[in-house]
Amino acid sequence: MSNINGKVYAMNAITPMKPWKTWILRGFFFLLGHIKPLQKDLIDLSFIEFARWVVLPRKQFPFLGNGQINEDLKYDYLLFFSNFNGTWNQYIDAFSAVLSKGLNLVWRWSEKFPGSVPVTSFKEYIARVQFDTDYYYTAYPHATANDIKSAHIVQSSLDQLTLRAEQCSPQQFADAYLRFVLQVQSHIGETGEAPIAG
Amino acid sequence: MSKLNETDIQGFVLRGYNLPVARFLFLHFENPARARSLIAHLLSHITTGQRWDGAKPATTVNIAFTHRGLQHLQLPDATLLSFPVEFQQGMKHRAEILGDTGVNSPEHWDAVWRQDRVHVWLAINGLTPEALDSRCSVIMTAIEETGGASVLASQDAAAEIIHGKPTTKEHFGYTDGFGNPDYLGVERSSQPGQGKLLSDGNWVPLATGELLLGYADEAGELPVAPVPHLLATNGTFMVYRKLHQNLATFRNFLEQQSAIYAGGKEKLAAKFVGRWRDGTPLELSPDNPDPALTQDPNRSTNFNFGADAEGTRCPMGAHIRRVHPRDAFGFNGRLINRRRITRRGLPYGRFAPEGTPASDTEDRGVIFMALNASLSRQFEFVQQQWIQYGNDARLGNDKDLLLGNHAGHGRFVVQGDASPANPPFICHHLPDFVELQGGDYFFLPSITALGMIAMGLVDPR
Amino acid sequence: MPNKSGSVYGLTILSPIIDDEKATPSHDLQIRDYLAKLSTREDSPFALAPGTHLARLVVMDDVIYVGMPACEEHLASKYLVFESNCDGDLDDYLRGLADTIPDHLDAIWKHCVGYPGAANRQAFIHYMKACQLDTTFYFAAVNDKSVPETLRALKTQTAVADFIATHQGADAATLQREFIRFVALLKSQPLPHPGSMGPHREIKTGGRNE
Repeated sequence: MSNINGKVYAMNAITPMKPWKTWILRGFFFLLGHIKPLQKDLIDLSFIEFARWVVLPRKQFPFLGNGQINEDLKYDYLLFFSNFNGTWNQYIDAFSAVLSKGLNLVWRWSEKFPGSVPVTSFKEYIARVQFDTDYYYTAYPHATANDIKSAHIVQSSLDQLTLRAEQCSPQQFADAYLRFVLQVQSHIGETGEAPIAG
Repeated sequence: MSKLNETDIQGFVLRGYNLPVARFLFLHFENPARARSLIAHLLSHITTGQRWDGAKPATTVNIAFTHRGLQHLQLPDATLLSFPVEFQQGMKHRAEILGDTGVNSPEHWDAVWRQDRVHVWLAINGLTPEALDSRCSVIMTAIEETGGASVLASQDAAAEIIHGKPTTKEHFGYTDGFGNPDYLGVERSSQPGQGKLLSDGNWVPLATGELLLGYADEAGELPVAPVPHLLATNGTFMVYRKLHQNLATFRNFLEQQSAIYAGGKEKLAAKFVGRWRDGTPLELSPDNPDPALTQDPNRSTNFNFGADAEGTRCPMGAHIRRVHPRDAFGFNGRLINRRRITRRGLPYGRFAPEGTPASDTEDRGVIFMALNASLSRQFEFVQQQWIQYGNDARLGNDKDLLLGNHAGHGRFVVQGDASPANPPFICHHLPDFVELQGGDYFFLPSITALGMIAMGLVDPR
Repeated sequence: MPNKSGSVYGLTILSPIIDDEKATPSHDLQIRDYLAKLSTREDSPFALAPGTHLARLVVMDDVIYVGMPACEEHLASKYLVFESNCDGDLDDYLRGLADTIPDHLDAIWKHCVGYPGAANRQAFIHYMKACQLDTTFYFAAVNDKSVPETLRALKTQTAVADFIATHQGADAATLQREFIRFVALLKSQPLPHPGSMGPHREIKTGGRNE
């Protein structure tokens, strides 16, 4: 197993919820999904490539017949899958430091959730409900979410300059090239290997 | 936050002494009982955080231990095992995590750091070389008389003296020592820009627990600390790193690069660090150094990067922006408040003024010492993620220009604008300006804890 | 249900693993063994098949007991979790998997209840959808770019940084000429392989740490 591939970390977590609370959580996610400003903090955190929460009601585990035994559960479950850059501790620290209210609204319906502040009990809880990844693939092991966003800025700036590069005079080109360099100058960090995790 | 007990905290933790000369002795304990009696003897020498009220002492003495040292003092296993893992392992063992590889890897360190024999860091700071020597001979006598330890190595360090006055300049010519944080309860003339940023734009001191064990930290909890509490409280962890500076390489690089950089040599030097070499912050004075600004505590550290998101004043990868990003990551700086360290450094080796010959091989550099409640969360994080890597600053794998372990690769981007005097510029094929010569992680205990250690009275509960 | 963010699809599949006392090693262990030996680099099945940004496969043994006063309970089946962040239309994506890497799919999912095999495309897609969970909330940092577009952009970024660094101070005519040549060369080069680290890179992984 490995939870890490290049610059990304795969986190899986599962927590039990009393079924009546599931509906409150669904309501919160509905709001989060439809009110874009609420997502701003997630975007600004900038080290999450993809993340998802899946509410799994106790009677809706996939059932294929063929001798599979029906699940008989008291709790509904909340599944969380995240693909983030940086270290496990950095990720949880940042969540706790700047998203504590939002996280509490997500997980407070789960049994034994201690709250996202202070951070140590939050980390203990996440570590307890986390399960490990057997196989993790990324098309871009050498790039983070920031790297990818930057790369697309460079690409679109290059495409613009390319459109006019052949038509203009050398001096016009030099001016356009300077503007191009100014557009991309804070987006050309190298991609490559991630720092080693201890 | 009640007032700290300054008589219980080593002075080195609470303040930079601003004493121009220092000697660091690295000791090896020979015998636990005699080692404890040496500590008992040294206790009366240890400089505490008590204020001097004008009468600065001629010398100071402070002490700290590696985990191996604490083992040799025969602290109980339950106590030894309760220390944070990175301290138990020591800095050498953490080389891969810290990016101390290639020329910086332990096999290239000074002999004293290649072995695992250092138990004690004993620091003597002095007002004059004479005062330093005489205090050192008193200490040496105590070491010999008790037979508690042998001296493995000794490292001298000294500020550059210009016109008879000690300066805070380092060998590359930069004025250093602006950035230390303020902490709650630590009496110091507080200045804006040195604690943590609030959403209203004001700066307030950081929680005490970011520096000292036993107090609440910025996460609202007590830092991870060894048991018993009495051993940990008012103590802290220190990293010691001897950083050799390749002065000829730096000067040649600056000459060559500035020959093709239209902003000129001094501006390029300023872009590397984020301050002009006299200390003026680029963020406040992007076009020229301003000596008045460096002298004004209300201004010299009072700036943010939020209005300079593209780095056209202070580059995104400039040293001071990397190690203290202020508001650069958004969230009013809340992502950085638990990543701050307190630096206590001094240069070592002969100063070579600009224009005089300099080589890389001469023994010169800086003794970098940093204090923090958590080596892994604070120092190691800054070193790994912000010095040797760039993702948080949106710089991909780019490293700090001066401290990064480049091995001839890597880039440093100077973001610019359309004005001729501030053009965009890229330095590439970066040499290694600084090389690690060794060091370790130390625990700097309180006076109470030193007494407990000396008397063999550490009880893990 | 928000399974999509922009043009990116968040696929979550839970496939019950066959519980057969006679199997040695058990089916879940056989899946783990196969996955442990599967390449995560450019010869990964997900690099060979089109459309995967990031994906993971996880054997979920059970739910996790969080301690008193919560009740302890256990799953009747173990599940194979397939979490994928992929391009576009789900049917196209699943068909792409079945067309490109049927042997890998069969080697993994043959240990799951009711798996029909990848050879029968319609049955395969129907099976996967029967195991699918709807995502309640999905976040994608970049949700308007396909895998090839991102691979291309990353290559461009590296090339552009090198070009700028090596053409500082060039006169206007040279700059223009070299730039046009650079763009043509860049266009003529193939896309980097998905899952590759780029040139001269080693991978180091470890546990969790600061």
